[in-house]
Amino acid sequence: MKSAWLAGTALILGLVWASAAFLRLDPAGLFAAGTLGAFGKFVGEFFPPDLSAPFLSQIAWGTLETLAISAVATLLAALGGIMIALPAAGRFGPLPQLASRFVLNALRSIPELVFAALMVLAAGLGPFAGTLALALHTTGVLGRLFAEALENAPSEPADALVNSGASRVSVFFYATLPGVLPQCVAYSLYRWEINIRMAAVLGFVGAGGLGQMLYVSLSLFHSPQACSVILAMLLIVMLVDEASALLRRSMA
Amino acid sequence: MTAAVALALKRLTVMREGERRALDGVVLSIRPGERVAVIGPSGAGKTTLLRVLATALRQTDGSVEILGTDPWALDAGARRRLRARIGLIHQAPPLPPRQRVVTAVLAGRLGSWPLWKALVSLAYPLDMAGARAELARLDLSDRLFDRCDRLSGGQAQRVGIARVLYQQPELILADEPVSALDPALANHTVGVLAAEAQARGVTLFASLHAVDLALAHFPRIVGLRDGRVAFDLPTEQIDAQRLDQLYSQEGYLPTQEGRPFEASRNRPLQSPLCK
Repeated sequence: MKSAWLAGTALILGLVWASAAFLRLDPAGLFAAGTLGAFGKFVGEFFPPDLSAPFLSQIAWGTLETLAISAVATLLAALGGIMIALPAAGRFGPLPQLASRFVLNALRSIPELVFAALMVLAAGLGPFAGTLALALHTTGVLGRLFAEALENAPSEPADALVNSGASRVSVFFYATLPGVLPQCVAYSLYRWEINIRMAAVLGFVGAGGLGQMLYVSLSLFHSPQACSVILAMLLIVMLVDEASALLRRSMA
Repeated sequence: MTAAVALALKRLTVMREGERRALDGVVLSIRPGERVAVIGPSGAGKTTLLRVLATALRQTDGSVEILGTDPWALDAGARRRLRARIGLIHQAPPLPPRQRVVTAVLAGRLGSWPLWKALVSLAYPLDMAGARAELARLDLSDRLFDRCDRLSGGQAQRVGIARVLYQQPELILADEPVSALDPALANHTVGVLAAEAQARGVTLFASLHAVDLALAHFPRIVGLRDGRVAFDLPTEQIDAQRLDQLYSQEGYLPTQEGRPFEASRNRPLQSPLCK
């Protein structure tokens, strides 16, 4: 037992050393005398935040853009997700199931930032690219979650309507959807929360919103302005956390 | 509507879980407009029989004719139209928990409504008066806008009945439709079903645990035991002895001429452990 511990520790230490050597990191620099002062100076440059009225109104505009990007993207993703979830849950036979699962996996495994970089190339700089990027990735995530909800939903209400001669579409809307809707809404709200955070970052590749403002401020070394943008991001994420917790509690 | 028989079963056999026969050679013929109750001990196959008649389950062997056609010889579209003419009342109606009662009742006519009407009605119930009228017959009109998961078991059962009444099927099937109701309400509710069948001249086939309800509301009684028809008689000919035989348990068997009744045919009464 003891020798295994020793070997494990030695292995980890060896890996850390090898990585640091490969990246040419100088651990000594982290603990050098001047480091703390330099760091303090860097942070100090961000304060006080720029709270002048024209810049605040720009931030308000950016905040709205971020919220709008995340909201539209999540809504599109929820619609797309349910449409792909139906075949993915096996409602149309095995072949469409396989194909739609592949699509969902592909969408899900490409990160938002990669999609955003691609969409900026395809659709140009701005919020449209950000919306598409978020919508594509989220469709993959929500589609997968919706498909699982559909598979786990009890089938008796639907069977009863099928046996009274209802068509497949009306069975879906009268029996299947009411069973999975609360779960789907909860998943969508949760993803919306994530998407707001993500929308704030997407701007770094030019996809609009607060992120783009942050990127511009940082590039121009306008640290106080960057600080205001970061505070605004913090504020909306906190607000959204609270709001969605409230919403979910009222839905339960 | 004018088929000579509403239901015709020939040597109907349904295998469940491999080798067990849930139904074993059931022969039954019911004319349009007849009211027939099926009674029998738990596990006799009543629910399986009703599921076969509702085209929810396909038989393993034998033939089924419902409203003049073999449902499994039809293509999907024709089977859907046949199903719209059959209404099955479930013992525990599978209602979506968050659906409103009015929507759950109106869902009964999805088989005859065009899709646009079904979808519009989901947003705004199109025939509130119709749903209310069916619920009123079952003393439930005040629950029209309640959510289905706020209902008691007995109320849910009656919502399920209201849905089938609203469907207006030519064949009403009922699987223990009043098992969660108190005796007075159960009597009233079975009475509503019988009256509906009589008024519209449609066929009613119901399984009931409460034998007194079967005897009071149905002119013909089928006794089912171990997946077989034990008797099929007009109500006047049902007597206490027949009922005792139908419900007798192995090990608590009444004797006939000193010999144990019926069940001893399949296996010995004494278990091998007793040797």
